[in-house]
Amino acid sequence: MSTRRPTLPLAATRRRKSRLLGPAGVLSVLTAGALTLAACSSSSSSSTTSTTAAVRLSSLEKWPTTPVSVTESGSTLLQPLFAAWANAIHISWPTVTVQPAGGGSGQGFANAASGISNIGGSDPYLSQAQLAQYPALKNIPLAISAQQVNYNVANITPAGTHLKLSGKVLSAMYQGTITSWNDPQITALNPGVTIPSTPVAAIHRSDSSGDTFLFTSYLAAADPTGWGTKYPANTTEQWPNAPGSAAAQGNGGMVTTCAATPGCVAYIGISYLDQASQSKLGYAALQNKSGNYELPSVTTVSAEAAGFANSTPSSGAISMIYGPPTDGYPIVNYEYAIVGKQPDAAHAQAVKAVLAWAVDPNGGNAPSFLDNVHFVALPTQVEQIALKLISKVTS
Amino acid sequence: MAATTGAAPLPTEATTFTERSRSAGLGRRKMKNALLWGSCTIALALVVSPLLWIVIGVIAKGVSHWQWSALTHDHASASSPGLLNAVIGTFTLMAGIVVIGGVIGIAGGIYLAEYCPEGKGKLLRGASEVLSGVPSIVLGYVGFIALVVGFKGTGIHWSFGLLPAWIVVAVLVVPYITKSTEVAIRNVPTAYREGAESLGLSSGFTLRKLILRPALPGIVTGLIFAAAISVGETAPLIYTAHWSDHTNFSLIHSAFGGVGYLTYGVFEFLNEPSAHDHVLANDAAMMLVVIVLLLIVVSRVLVSLTQRYSPDRPQRLGRSGK
Amino acid sequence: MTTTSERSRGPASSLLAGKAVGSSSGGPGSGEGQGSAGGWGSGGAGWEGSPPASRQRWWRFEQMLPRGLTVAVWIPLLAIVLLVVVLVVKAVPAIRFNGLHFFTSDAWSTGNAFGSVVTTGGVRHFVGASYGVLPLVVGTLISSAIAIALAVPIGVATALVIVEKLPMRVSSGVGFCLEVLAGVPSAVYGIWGVLTFGPWLAHHIDGPIARNMPDVPVLRWFRGAGPHNVVGQGHDLLTGGLILTVMILPIIAATTRDLLRQVPRATVEGATALGLTDAEAVNTVTLRWVRSGIIGASMLGLGRALGETIMVAMVGGALLGSSPHSIFSAFNTIAAAIVTQLEAALSDPTGLQVGTLAEIALVLLVISLAANVIARWLVQRGVGTALPVGRGI
Repeated sequence: MSTRRPTLPLAATRRRKSRLLGPAGVLSVLTAGALTLAACSSSSSSSTTSTTAAVRLSSLEKWPTTPVSVTESGSTLLQPLFAAWANAIHISWPTVTVQPAGGGSGQGFANAASGISNIGGSDPYLSQAQLAQYPALKNIPLAISAQQVNYNVANITPAGTHLKLSGKVLSAMYQGTITSWNDPQITALNPGVTIPSTPVAAIHRSDSSGDTFLFTSYLAAADPTGWGTKYPANTTEQWPNAPGSAAAQGNGGMVTTCAATPGCVAYIGISYLDQASQSKLGYAALQNKSGNYELPSVTTVSAEAAGFANSTPSSGAISMIYGPPTDGYPIVNYEYAIVGKQPDAAHAQAVKAVLAWAVDPNGGNAPSFLDNVHFVALPTQVEQIALKLISKVTS
Repeated sequence: MAATTGAAPLPTEATTFTERSRSAGLGRRKMKNALLWGSCTIALALVVSPLLWIVIGVIAKGVSHWQWSALTHDHASASSPGLLNAVIGTFTLMAGIVVIGGVIGIAGGIYLAEYCPEGKGKLLRGASEVLSGVPSIVLGYVGFIALVVGFKGTGIHWSFGLLPAWIVVAVLVVPYITKSTEVAIRNVPTAYREGAESLGLSSGFTLRKLILRPALPGIVTGLIFAAAISVGETAPLIYTAHWSDHTNFSLIHSAFGGVGYLTYGVFEFLNEPSAHDHVLANDAAMMLVVIVLLLIVVSRVLVSLTQRYSPDRPQRLGRSGK
Repeated sequence: MTTTSERSRGPASSLLAGKAVGSSSGGPGSGEGQGSAGGWGSGGAGWEGSPPASRQRWWRFEQMLPRGLTVAVWIPLLAIVLLVVVLVVKAVPAIRFNGLHFFTSDAWSTGNAFGSVVTTGGVRHFVGASYGVLPLVVGTLISSAIAIALAVPIGVATALVIVEKLPMRVSSGVGFCLEVLAGVPSAVYGIWGVLTFGPWLAHHIDGPIARNMPDVPVLRWFRGAGPHNVVGQGHDLLTGGLILTVMILPIIAATTRDLLRQVPRATVEGATALGLTDAEAVNTVTLRWVRSGIIGASMLGLGRALGETIMVAMVGGALLGSSPHSIFSAFNTIAAAIVTQLEAALSDPTGLQVGTLAEIALVLLVISLAANVIARWLVQRGVGTALPVGRGI
């Protein structure tokens, strides 16, 4: 990141410096200050070499001078982050009002496709069929998200242990073939840990959800014969009716239901990690493709994403589930903005500015925003892909 | 309290008991009697207790974490998100629904009660009753498909906003307003009309002064019930008004993504990550219960007015009385 | 009914009379001007001492009035026609694709949404797309059946107490309770079910029942799932059914109460005079008198239960793709499936999911309209209650 900073044109940094009110906060101001220094002191030769390939942020981040309202709807995983962004943007640039509304990834796509919303928030990328139907739509990576597997099992000793779970075991739990938490298949993964015989209650989402897509992608990839052939990854899954299984609406519903259900296992978006921990839910270390068990953390999520940084296509659409990095957390994804043709030039300009600011590591991708929801910033290469996509937004 | 009153036979019935006590098999019959009224009393308790549980439970949950910011801030507020936008939205939606539904429903009710030929009336009343049996989510689905998204070629592509919500829920409440208007007008004695006709009054005058006036409390009661329905509906609003964190009065193509209302908060906020939103969900539920209680009290007062205008007390009508 | 026809003729003739003696009717009209009737009161006041031109305008307005009202009165019919047209237009591709198998299938799968789109019989769909309405119909009917089975006896018994035993003041209080029960929004029932009632059932009631029920046909429905007799957290058929019961109770109780009040007192008193106990009088006279009405009231309640959406979406556990197997099992109804799945359906570019939702909406429409039409036909006499039965309040 630091190598990239001097590449920013001076005009942009100066403008950023003036954004003292921005709730990106002290950090943003500090980095902006540091940036100005860096830009002044560093040689200009390095900046010219990298800007030739890079889309210049300043060309996109042109904030409108007349009031524009940008609507966003969709992914509930992305919504808290978008709400924080919206507030920050409105404080720094009062002409722009961003209106985030939830509704789920499906609605994000549909509203962007039909023009109801300027930006649709989505966990999954656009499918081929969706692109064929709406060729003008783009999926623009905004940040990196992950998904934890939570459980509600009391009296695990030693206390504070994160259970190790694999895709095969989770697949069996969701299919009802593992019915007890001290099933030999689970204890085999957790030597030295005593697990009570609490019955397993697998919880899944009742609404259409990008989380369901991510989790079933993991199950399908990790257990291709046991799960993948029967239940293809999808946002709405036809779940096996396992004993004790239940459905919950939204990530919040998953936390509430899981907290109330002894023996539950549930997949929950990473932005709900704090809430899940407050509800005394444990979260598992998941087996990745290399056979290592990893907890979701900035390190492991970044490691997984880094493995895909160079292979992410220019369309931005790629699945990062169960990837090759040896120390990567296996359920990681890009959060996308689905953007179509904008109603007028003013909206196009505002949308470009909002999204360009959002993927800017000193703007919306600053840790002051992402840390609250446990998201991770885009790798530099992917940020460039995003900026290129953003530059193609038209009215 | 109600239960004990129900169990104890009234004095008059107690005397008939003693007179009947000479007949055969009395013990068993008496027991059966007690059994019936006993179980009826239990039934009464089964109606009243969930009511108390719900109303008190919901209000207690709302009060326990109550903050006034819930009423003074929009949900978009960064410092302390509240429900002001939803409260305003709820009342804006209600007002529009009552006006649109009221105009259509009252006009329909007057027509059905005063002008409609028998055969046509049967068809129209039937249609109205069929409409009142349509599940609200079906109306919501159709509103979403036909108004919000729109069919190609109709030129209607309204996106979310007040107008599609008004139209869909107005269609939903029209049957009730029509029915209560018709019933209220029919309860006005025919003698009034005959009297007016014999005096040579114009039909419009008769309608305004002699028929609608005594029927007014009944009609307004219908409107209040329509208001209560519009406050309490969720399913048809989710896909027409959708939701907005801001106070918003857009009719169509809302720049704010929709219009907020309280039932949405109850339905969705439990699924939000922040604990504060869970508090707001309970607050919204409490506000809804309070609004509905108020509306019902108002309608009760009006019903008592209706009784004052009943045919037994025509002196209320001014010139025709005393 | 006879008064209806009389009345409908009456005003028509008075309209003609009004035409003939229109000018003379101004006299008494101006005398009434000081009254402040709502609605058109101002119009009446303006009439007093107004120039003939405005009076004429009024006069013309009054003549136009019935025609103006006709427009409004056709709106419900128009709405139904539009409703059905929209649903059918949207559903046609789904009906063609799903076929009759739709009514017997458990499946609810969009197919491989990230794969390619294929065309079968002119309908675009994903590979492996398959839909069935059976679990939704089963969930709808069972939850409504639980509600009806409990609400009818409780509601009728309550109405009996109200009418036969309670003093006027108390029965009016109970009437208030019924109105509140009918008026509580379904989302509030939902949040109460999710936060309070469901967990309470799960922790105090479900366990003992589920663990002790023998594993034999019928009673198996009251057993917990699997080897551990799991009962879950109250997101199940039992919670949903019980809350539905509470929701339709006011409809049944209030309608029955109004019917009971129409039973001629003389007949009941005659029965008592013959030496019957109250219970016998109720059995032989009162209930017989209102029997068809009670069935009608039950059907109205059923119509409400069948169409209930948000409460079920919140407490039902939203099971897709399989039918509930016990009262402690999650379930789903047609209405709840529409509200929770429409969002998912929108991301299906083939449009098949949206179409399938239109198809299940048609199924729901047919079921609930059948219940309603039968109900109205049975209650025919137009219960004079101010309680608009059939919906929330």
